[in-house]
Amino acid sequence: MAASATTNYDLTRKSFLSSLYSFRAVLPGLLAMLYIAVFSNNLPGVPNPFTLENLFYWLDGVIGPLNHQPFFQILNSNFVWNPLLLGFIIGNLLGVPDCWKRGLSTIHVLMPLGILMLAPHFIVGHAFKLGFRPIALCAGFMFLTATATLLLARLFKVDDRHASIIAGGLSTGDPHAGIILMPLIKAKGGQVLNASIGVIGFGIIAMLLLPWMAGFLDLPQKYLGLASVIGVGNGHQALYAAYESGYEAGRYALWFDIGRHVIMPAGFLYIFIAMFIRKLRRPDDPDVQATRGIDKFPLWLGVFIFAWILACLHLFREPAQHAVFNMVKWDFSLAAAALGLSLSFRDIAAVGVRGFVLTIATGVLRIVLLLAAIIVCIKAGLLPI
Amino acid sequence: MGGKSQRVDDQGFDYMANSGREAKDRDMCGMLLAIIIMAFLTLSQYLGWY
Repeated sequence: MAASATTNYDLTRKSFLSSLYSFRAVLPGLLAMLYIAVFSNNLPGVPNPFTLENLFYWLDGVIGPLNHQPFFQILNSNFVWNPLLLGFIIGNLLGVPDCWKRGLSTIHVLMPLGILMLAPHFIVGHAFKLGFRPIALCAGFMFLTATATLLLARLFKVDDRHASIIAGGLSTGDPHAGIILMPLIKAKGGQVLNASIGVIGFGIIAMLLLPWMAGFLDLPQKYLGLASVIGVGNGHQALYAAYESGYEAGRYALWFDIGRHVIMPAGFLYIFIAMFIRKLRRPDDPDVQATRGIDKFPLWLGVFIFAWILACLHLFREPAQHAVFNMVKWDFSLAAAALGLSLSFRDIAAVGVRGFVLTIATGVLRIVLLLAAIIVCIKAGLLPI
Repeated sequence: MGGKSQRVDDQGFDYMANSGREAKDRDMCGMLLAIIIMAFLTLSQYLGWY
């Protein structure tokens, strides 16, 4: 069915703008995405108080803080998950009318658009205050986690597209990265959501496990904060783990987190390039599905790298950098609404639990290696107390 | 409710399918829009418009 639709497109195509279809065809879908986005997030420029985001803030106020962290922030509620959840509920309860579908297909325009606009957000210079060694630890464990996930995926017989999304989320410490990898890896929506739920689920395990394991070691509060950032990640889950170890560790986790944050693009670029080269080397292998359909390095990804270099040179200054990020919030809110509408419970469940087992195995391995590395660095005088 | 019926319309158009010439065109549209938005917001700051 999809193949015939593509063939029809090739027959009617006049220029690249043909992929935007006609305004009349896309309007219902765009409006559906707009309403879901506007009722999910407090979007810049929209004074709507009746949002899922505000409902979660209110519930956080009722539940109270958990190690200084709001409960829904521990669950990684943000401008991507809120519309995704609302779209998922609407799609599964009420269905998706046919007239929306042309408009919803603009998700494929919004994804490269949003990823490109993310480039000014990652200014590497912001992490220089940490010094070379903590940044090297963040970068080293990011690449190590990504590599270990992709290698262990063979052992656990996890589909390479699913494993790539897990590698993205786990190594960067941000389940967003999985969604960023979706168009690059050509992963299915069910694989993306299954992997992201697994990464967030393991984050909850990790935020309890890491302080417990670190309790057996005599680590300074400062490096308990660093260990939480690298070993747990996922924003408030790392903060939960750090505050569990002590107030000072929590404050240091906030301070160290920029080291994990600014190198995130290198993480998802590494996974894409590794899987792309693997596909080029094994063009006829049926087990190699990741990046299948991408015949050459995407031009827009090259533009992303160029824009990231410009960002590192501080070309995008504040407030322009924040204005661009506000556009990212709009973009991903709309795209996540369309993704949520496309998924059923069956799509997510059909992917199975192997990915979650892989996430746990790699995640626990990372925590063990990380704690060992930090102890060695302290003993060797590489991390000053 | 759910599954394929959520993605495919009665004419066989799957809104989550993204391949071939159509995918490349969508990437091009996204890329150009991103460049326009980033350039506009950055240049307008340099020009002192906000």
